[in-house]
Amino acid sequence: MDIKRLAKLARLRIPEEKYAKMESDMEGIVRMVENLPDLSSDGALIDLNNTMELREDEIKPSTPRDEILANAPKAVAGCIVVPKTVE
Amino acid sequence: MDICKLSATEMAACLRSHELSATEIAKASLERIQKVEGTVDAFLTVTEDEALAAAAKVDAQIAAGEQLAPLAGIPVGIKDNICTKGVRTTCASRMLENFVPPYDATVIEKLKAQGAVLTGKTNMDEFAMGSSCENSYFKPTRNPWDITRVPGGSSGGSAAAVAACEVPLSLGSDTGGSVRCPASFCGVVGLKPTYGAVSRYGLVAFASSLDQIGPFGRTVDDVSLLFDAISGEDKTHDATSKAGNFAARIREVKGLRIGLPKEYFGEGISEEVRAAVLKAVEEYRAMGAEIIEVSLPSTPYALSAYYIIASAEASSNLGRYDGVKYGFCGDRGGSLTDMYETTRSEGFGDEVQRRIMLGTYVLSSGYYDAYYKRAKLLQQNIAKEFEEAFTKCDFMITPVNPTTAFKLGENVNDPVAMYMADVCTINVNIAGLPGLSIPCGLGKGNLPIGLQMIGPKWSEGVLLGAAKCYETAVGGFAVKEM
Repeated sequence: MDIKRLAKLARLRIPEEKYAKMESDMEGIVRMVENLPDLSSDGALIDLNNTMELREDEIKPSTPRDEILANAPKAVAGCIVVPKTVE
Repeated sequence: MDICKLSATEMAACLRSHELSATEIAKASLERIQKVEGTVDAFLTVTEDEALAAAAKVDAQIAAGEQLAPLAGIPVGIKDNICTKGVRTTCASRMLENFVPPYDATVIEKLKAQGAVLTGKTNMDEFAMGSSCENSYFKPTRNPWDITRVPGGSSGGSAAAVAACEVPLSLGSDTGGSVRCPASFCGVVGLKPTYGAVSRYGLVAFASSLDQIGPFGRTVDDVSLLFDAISGEDKTHDATSKAGNFAARIREVKGLRIGLPKEYFGEGISEEVRAAVLKAVEEYRAMGAEIIEVSLPSTPYALSAYYIIASAEASSNLGRYDGVKYGFCGDRGGSLTDMYETTRSEGFGDEVQRRIMLGTYVLSSGYYDAYYKRAKLLQQNIAKEFEEAFTKCDFMITPVNPTTAFKLGENVNDPVAMYMADVCTINVNIAGLPGLSIPCGLGKGNLPIGLQMIGPKWSEGVLLGAAKCYETAVGGFAVKEM
């Protein structure tokens, strides 16, 4: 299992000293979940618990901006601040 | 009178007869928390001021001769993954250590509208991922029946707080057994409602197609009281609940057919658990129920289906924790991607990272058909098997956990061994059914054993009614002296 690639996809950084443990844990867990029967894949794959229902697209009051921003790690002038993404 | 030992139903009666005031009840609960928390560690935040203010309001209502709502003046503990406006909601994670929600979950709005007294936020496995409450970033909770043992998880704090008489009622959430497992380990009653029966608005998402908020109490009537208060369609927040026709509460079990799924009594279930559950089944037979054997052939595959589906959804749901909008933020000195990776690696604990990795793996290109698609097909088969079994019986009885509470630290280094604790509970979430855990005796070391009742969708009234019959027949459930 390519732990490094998987961590990259998941936006996680596994430190060197935890690498071996993560690898053996993941291999054990994948061995466990591989216990699946052969099932025919024809027929629709519907989510039994979640049938989709559309609602009207209505404008409703929302949480005020300052209350939302109060939890942001960094906010300036009513906007969330992130590291520079465009050079 | 030891106020804390009263059930919620008894407290409600005392309020109405003016034997006790809401403030006296709230103070008794807060004092009890103060007294036993050093041993149990069930709470992450105690909201003393808010609790006393809510109680004073109820006392004013009483003084004005107003009609009280069923939960008015009753102390309730809330799992720390349910959003409470202005009160820190951490999910027991470093990621949300300082998160203060700007809104209340629907269940909290409903409790506040009734005048319930919210005494604080309870400990849990980080993001509800775990079966022992040891995955909390802050501290482990201890089982009131034996403080060297786990209370179960992930809603371990909510179950322990009720078992230790800190509060008569609490709310947890259940994605694969997170209400029923700690209820069983702590000797209290816990209900995982039908999927959609209780609004999930304001419940921090783990696996949205499986998550459900559920109540804990020391008696069946108390759990019914809290379930009645929180259930029902949430019309303001569509998709967080469903409209359903709840079955009426039954009063006797005579003539009911109880199914014993043979796959739940086989290998891996400890002898004392099997014996205690079957003894309770005999009680039901003596009350006039018919006992029949049923079969759920896909049971051996349930762990696979559950850990694939739940982890896939978790890896998507937890994508929102990026250090940008709210929550913990790692070093901001590098690129945006560096910030994401630092934030998530430092903000999430090991178990959460393992589940995100598993979810990412089963959804990744080349593996989707082999894992996720097969698990979803299996989910349909599991649901069909339950439907078929319910043509032969009214509800089923199984163990909740294969064993009684294990020692703190016993399974922390072996994730697969920890996952096995969920083997009897996960299918209920996969099929969207209600499941109720009630105590059915004590095993070695005086540790509680739980019995699980599983019914068709919306059959909570049948499960709670049948549980009440058992509770009455055995003369009530034991409460731990502390």
